[in-house]
Amino acid sequence: MTTIRRFCCNDLLRFSSVNLDHLTETFNMSFYMTYLARWPDYFHVAEAPGNRIMGYIMGKVEGQGESWHGHVTAVTVAPEYRRQQLAKKLMHMLEDISDKIDKAYFVDLFVRASNTPAIKMYEKLGYIIYRRVLRYYSGEEDGLDMRKALSRDVEKKSMIPLKRPVTPDELEYD
Amino acid sequence: MASKFGMPGGIPERRVRSIWDAVDSRQFKAALKLATSLLSKYPNSPYALALKALILERMGKPDEALSVCLNAKDKLYANDAVQIDDLTLSTLQIVFQRLDRLDLATSCYEFACGKFPNNLELMMGLFNCYVREYSFVKQQQTAIKMYKVVGEERFLLWAVCSIQLQMVYCHGKPTIALSNGHKDKTKWEDWMAWITWIYGSVTEEVLCGDGEDKLLLLAEGLLKKHITSHSLHEPEALLVYISVLEQQAKYGAASEILSGKLGSLLIIEVDRLRIQGRLLARACDYAAAAEIYQKVIESCPDDWECFLHYLGCLLEDDSSWCSWSVNDKIHPPKFVDCKLSHLKDDVFDLQISNALAFVQKLQVESSSDFIRCPYLANLEIERRKRLYGKGDDMKLIEALLDYFCSKGNPASYNCQLTIVRFGHLACFASDVEMFLQVLTIDEKMDLLKKLMKLSGSSSTVPIKVLGQSITLFKIQELFGTLFKLPVSGVAIPYSLEPGSEAADVCTTIVLPRWLKLESTAIQMTDMYCQNLPLSKDLDPQENMHGEELLSMACNVLIQLFWRTRHLGYLLEAIMVLEFGLTIRRYVWQYKILLLHLYSYLSALPLAYEWYKTLEVKNILFETVSHHILPQMLISPLWVDLIDLLKDYLKFMDDHSRESADLTFLAYRHRNYSKVIEFVQFKERLQHSNQYLMAKIEEPILQLKQKSDNIEEVECVLESLSFGMELLELSSENRCKSLTFNEDLQSRPWWTPAADINYLLGPFDGASFCPRENLCSTAFVLFPFVTSIVKSEVFIKFPFLISWKLPQTKEREANARKVIERRSLLPRMLYLSIQCASSSMKENVETNGSISNTKLYSELKCLLERFAKSLGFPFNDAVKDIVGLSIGDKSFEVFNSDIIDWMNFAVFLNAWNLGSHELNLPDGDGRGPVSWHMVDYLIEKYTLENLRSMQPLIRAPGSDLPVLVQLVTEPLAWHGLVINSCVRSSLPSGKKKKKSGHVDQLNSLLSQAIQGSIQSVCGVMEEVTKWLREQINKPEDENLDTLLSLLMRRGLNEGPGQVFQILEAFAASTRDSVLCDRISQALLQWSPVGVARKIITSQCTVLSEFLRICESNLKSLKALKQ
Repeated sequence: MTTIRRFCCNDLLRFSSVNLDHLTETFNMSFYMTYLARWPDYFHVAEAPGNRIMGYIMGKVEGQGESWHGHVTAVTVAPEYRRQQLAKKLMHMLEDISDKIDKAYFVDLFVRASNTPAIKMYEKLGYIIYRRVLRYYSGEEDGLDMRKALSRDVEKKSMIPLKRPVTPDELEYD
Repeated sequence: MASKFGMPGGIPERRVRSIWDAVDSRQFKAALKLATSLLSKYPNSPYALALKALILERMGKPDEALSVCLNAKDKLYANDAVQIDDLTLSTLQIVFQRLDRLDLATSCYEFACGKFPNNLELMMGLFNCYVREYSFVKQQQTAIKMYKVVGEERFLLWAVCSIQLQMVYCHGKPTIALSNGHKDKTKWEDWMAWITWIYGSVTEEVLCGDGEDKLLLLAEGLLKKHITSHSLHEPEALLVYISVLEQQAKYGAASEILSGKLGSLLIIEVDRLRIQGRLLARACDYAAAAEIYQKVIESCPDDWECFLHYLGCLLEDDSSWCSWSVNDKIHPPKFVDCKLSHLKDDVFDLQISNALAFVQKLQVESSSDFIRCPYLANLEIERRKRLYGKGDDMKLIEALLDYFCSKGNPASYNCQLTIVRFGHLACFASDVEMFLQVLTIDEKMDLLKKLMKLSGSSSTVPIKVLGQSITLFKIQELFGTLFKLPVSGVAIPYSLEPGSEAADVCTTIVLPRWLKLESTAIQMTDMYCQNLPLSKDLDPQENMHGEELLSMACNVLIQLFWRTRHLGYLLEAIMVLEFGLTIRRYVWQYKILLLHLYSYLSALPLAYEWYKTLEVKNILFETVSHHILPQMLISPLWVDLIDLLKDYLKFMDDHSRESADLTFLAYRHRNYSKVIEFVQFKERLQHSNQYLMAKIEEPILQLKQKSDNIEEVECVLESLSFGMELLELSSENRCKSLTFNEDLQSRPWWTPAADINYLLGPFDGASFCPRENLCSTAFVLFPFVTSIVKSEVFIKFPFLISWKLPQTKEREANARKVIERRSLLPRMLYLSIQCASSSMKENVETNGSISNTKLYSELKCLLERFAKSLGFPFNDAVKDIVGLSIGDKSFEVFNSDIIDWMNFAVFLNAWNLGSHELNLPDGDGRGPVSWHMVDYLIEKYTLENLRSMQPLIRAPGSDLPVLVQLVTEPLAWHGLVINSCVRSSLPSGKKKKKSGHVDQLNSLLSQAIQGSIQSVCGVMEEVTKWLREQINKPEDENLDTLLSLLMRRGLNEGPGQVFQILEAFAASTRDSVLCDRISQALLQWSPVGVARKIITSQCTVLSEFLRICESNLKSLKALKQ
């Protein structure tokens, strides 16, 4: 039972049951609000009956030329609503917006190399590990850059994995 | 910043670049050197000055920075030849903003725009200045000017947003732009010119409306005119246009636009349809709206909100459009409001059958196991039928059972078989919560029995079986049946009035023996342990199956404690949670329960430690810190408290500062709907009750910390403008509409809000306490709501207690009073110190002056406000406090406000010392009666408390926090009054010496002071004596006391049963050869360690308190000779 709608500021005051989860980062206000101010179509929340927050996704669209892409910054689901494919639904929504509205070539995301459950989930959703980013998380843990091609990338060029890992300095976008 | 290169006034780029590089790399000294050298070459360059000011500000020299900035501003204004560039202005703006002088930045831009009227870049800068100042009218005017210059859509929308903001913040009042129109000829002419420009002529409609109507018409007219000539190109612009029309209730026009060419701007079809549905419904075209919503549901079959809209339209009910979203967007009600009575029978029947047919179609078509909406829809339809008076008794229960699990498909399964539907999901109980409320008690029991039967037969998959069992426990929690279970196997221990409602409730419930309360906790814990192997292959970061069982077991154990007052249950609850956290340390639900339990046990450092593991930061400070902040505010753990307050205030202040820039970002990126949202959100945070409290409590804490040194207290007071700053915080404007942003849902049942703790009473075993939702502004879901009055909710507890749920208005009024009292405190303290001092001078030097009169009258005025906020006229408050001091009244009368009353007495005395206005019964010739009154109150109340206080280990929820407040507030303030008197009695020039001079005052007052010092020292000595006794108790003795509560060998009932299950499971895991991560984690399990930590933590609190007492005592003793 999922009503998906645009995330709004007041949801910041209602998402603590989602964000108290240790894997969900609570960013600073300017981070959330910059996303809201710039890419409101990429920031959605799912609500259950009784207006409970089930989870949310935040992302953006960026890049140039063939690297014009949607990016998933965070996707998270409250424990009560896990194992119901909600993350899949939210991801599809973001992919759809990147594909149809912004005509992006692919969607990408970064995940901690140790976060096996998440990596497995993204793989099920059609993402591949495009490259490893060395010490991406606070200079300690490696990140994996995962990608999924959209309809504009007919030959799926964006999904040809890089053979060597990169350092955070080499990333085109933060 | 490094990108801001440029060459205003012919400055070479390389010189500027090197300065910015130095600033960016925080080499401020080097940057300053470079900037100074640049200035020597270009002494009249405002840009060079602005750079220097920027560096000075970064170096922490605000005064110098301001002075250089002002110099730059003068140069800008003076030099007519200079081309004013945006780089100089924006650099100045940065500095002015950091110096909190937005007004100066604005005036620079205003000047520049005046000089170069059509410069778009400068006008955007000016617009940004007005955004920062929240000057909506000026924003509107500037945006319109820009629109006039270039005709771009975005500037028009900036103007429209500014108009909408005026609507939000000038609601009900004519706006400045227009109301001044009549008085200010130029503006009125401006306005008329606009109207003519937009409409071609001045229409009657425009002239007749009030301020708001006029503004909206202006916005609409501007948009229409633009669309005619240029159309619209941004989806957000269309949304704004629709909202302008909606605000004027022009739903038909809005709907027409959406269906027309402009509608194609919204690429996602369902987004457009949702708006269309809303517009049609608001225009009361329910049939068309229902059709639209039907389309949306067909493509999004799981969209619950949309289904509710659809049903609302079928039943011609607009409740869902005027519900919570309008009033309070943070605390939605859990249930769906609806109106039904207006429909005729046949219409109702027809529409319900339409809805049912549609829902059945959706069920057949739904392809995923996770689409729950079409099934829950059945429940909603049955609920409405019942509310309308046409419910079939069994249908709702059947729908609930069907939602839990369904009968197998007859074509492929045996009809008797059931298959799991949603009963095993963690969200089942919360999904159906609102539907359980309309069931009668008999139906509830019937449902429970049927669910129990079904749960055994519908699945053999262990995870699903476990999920269903948890759901059953949750349903019982929601029904409140757990609260009515007997503690053990004996008969129901409630003494009920015969024939009472409560008795009726009780007799209707047949309780199976296994459902005894204690057995329930045992069953939950056992179920958790037995199912742990299901999770052994999960990633350690994933939630484990059955985690909720331990939270529920903990809640049951706490209920057992509450009903029996047996401390063992409380300790057992702690052990259960600590056990769960040993296995998986990430479960925040356990941590929150634990931190409240530890707080109740006065083991606050331990509570704080668990709080810290929640990693509360950023916006969570606002929503989550209520779990710890209130306890910390009345604790002696000042170092941790300072951290908490500082982090929180920094977050709130930072947001307040940067919010406008983010709003401008939304303008720039053409996300106009976010503009209004951001401004409203900033307002919401700025009016947060918690924020105001923290702003007040932080300086009060500083005063408490320094209370052993009057000079340092005076320094703190001086930094607070002698208390005036805080007075402003409680001003009517600031407190006008307080917001409550705490997320109370995660609080335990026994303390649903910071100021409620059921574990403190009543404990008669006849009470029943539900989970409730204090934050809801609408009706609260609760199984025993017996009567609903529109403005208030009365909840009748089934057992004797009737309790009114505080509503927002009431809560706000109370909060405002508390804020007022606390904000008065520093000023009252300052005035009291002054009064005390002047009273001594009068005695010594007999030179009372006019300024003293002002002092007394101000303090009296504040005392009157203080008394009023306690609910009393000043004279009555004085009468009561005097009554207390002569034994006519008891302390119980003052309840939880006792500390406020004590503070009142202390400041009253200080005022009376100087003013002698208090008409009190004559003392026995020992000096001012008010002085003895305070001594007596402090002494009597403290000693009474001390006498009744038990060791912390045996008496949780003890009076320790009250004692801490007593010592750190009234007693400390009284000490400062004494100190002020003594200091003023010293001959000038020798004021630093603090001893030996009181004797010089051969007056009644000096006797009173001496007596008072004696009395307060005596009290403090008693307190320190008690604290030392507690601290010096051998740890092992305390440990034995604590553990003996659980290790009750040979007993089959009472505390310890659940604990034994944990111990047995841990032992069996240790003995097994398995080496999975759960058994590894359990190697760390140590109940003795947990008990020891509790004792150490309690000891830390006592030691900190002792340190404060000793320091205050030392300072008082220094006054005594």
